[in-house]
This record gives sequence, C-alpha cells and structure tokens, in this order.
Amino acid sequence: MSLHNAYSVLYIGALSVLVVLTILCFIRAIKGPSIADRIVSINMIGTQILIMIGLVALLIGEGYLTDVALIYALISFLAVVVLCKVYMGVFLERRAQEQEEQHNA
Amino acid sequence: MLEWLRFILTAGLLISGLIILITAVIGVYKFDYVLNRMHAAAMGDTLGLLFCLLGLTVSAPDLATALKLLLIICFLWVASPVSSHLIARLEVTINPRWQQLPPTPGKDEKEEEDSP
Repeated sequence: MSLHNAYSVLYIGALSVLVVLTILCFIRAIKGPSIADRIVSINMIGTQILIMIGLVALLIGEGYLTDVALIYALISFLAVVVLCKVYMGVFLERRAQEQEEQHNA
Repeated sequence: MLEWLRFILTAGLLISGLIILITAVIGVYKFDYVLNRMHAAAMGDTLGLLFCLLGLTVSAPDLATALKLLLIICFLWVASPVSSHLIARLEVTINPRWQQLPPTPGKDEKEEEDSP
C-alpha cells in the first residue's frame, strides 16, 4: 500500500466516524429536554465539523480550506454567545412582566 | 521511511482524538442533567480538538496551513470556556431548581421545554 492510499484510508475513516458522531449529537440536540442541552449539543457539532473541514482540506490538498475552518470557529462561538444572550434576555423580560402583573393585581 | 514515521504519528494522534470525541458523545448520552453533560462536552471540545488538529498539523502540506491549524486550536481554547460559562449561567438563571440533587428528570424540566 502506497503512502497516498494510506493517507486516503485514514482520512476517509476519520470522516466516517465524525459523521456518525455528528448525527448522534444532532439527535441529542433534538431530544434534549432543556434549552441549555440543545446549545451544548450545537457547540459539540461545531467542534466536530471544524475537525471535518480540516480533514477535507488535507484530503484534497487545498490549504485554503483551513481559512474556512477558522471563520467557522469564529461564527460557531458567536452563535453560542448570541443564543445564550437572547434566551436569557427573553426569560428575564418575561419574569419582569409577570412580577409587574402580580404587583398590579 | 521518514514519511511513514510522519504518517504513523498523524494516525496515532488522530485516532486518540477520535476516541476522546467518542467518549464525549457517550458521556453526553449517559448523564441526565445539563451541568453534568457540559463536563463531557467540554472534554471533547478541548482535548479531542487538540489531538485531532495536532495530528493534522503534523502532516500539513505547507507551513501556512500548519500555522492556521494551530491558530484554530488557540482560538477554540480561549472560546470554549467562555461559551461553557455562558451556557451554565443560562441554565442557572432559567431553571430555579438547579441545585436539587438528584435533578428530577422529565417532570420539572418538561414544563420549561421550548418555553422561550
């Protein structure tokens, strides 16, 4: 077996394992009882897809795909931060509204 | 010969990273509360990513690609604790019964499911 074939087998095997893990995380994100469960799963999916982009970049021998991976890391972090802030803001606003209604009644 | 040595190093690092990622997913399924699940998920986010991307760095075709992969590791090691902290604070804020041990799965959290 030549070296090129060995690299292909290694990268494609790793990609297959990562695809299965991503699907399992997706099922967890759908099933997860609370909102924080879903955000944790989405964070894990982001990490696994980051590794998949790196693997594809080396598999097809194009170095510029690592730029895509870098931008993906930035955007996935931003998504988690924004989702947490939005859900916390909605919850606090609703609680303040309920307290105001109790105060008026 | 040296090329094969590099391949063996890449394969070893990549496979250990994948084993750690599999462990993280199993942990996410085994635990039954968010603050426990986060522990398993953070392990995959830091150590699994470090091993996988170090394995890719060893066999990178040129220097720029290797440096970009190392930059991704540095960025995610800074970003992952911040997002874990935010998720934990969200859970503590939203769920008023987070301190009860063992957390009652299903009954209490079903009410808050999909609510916001």
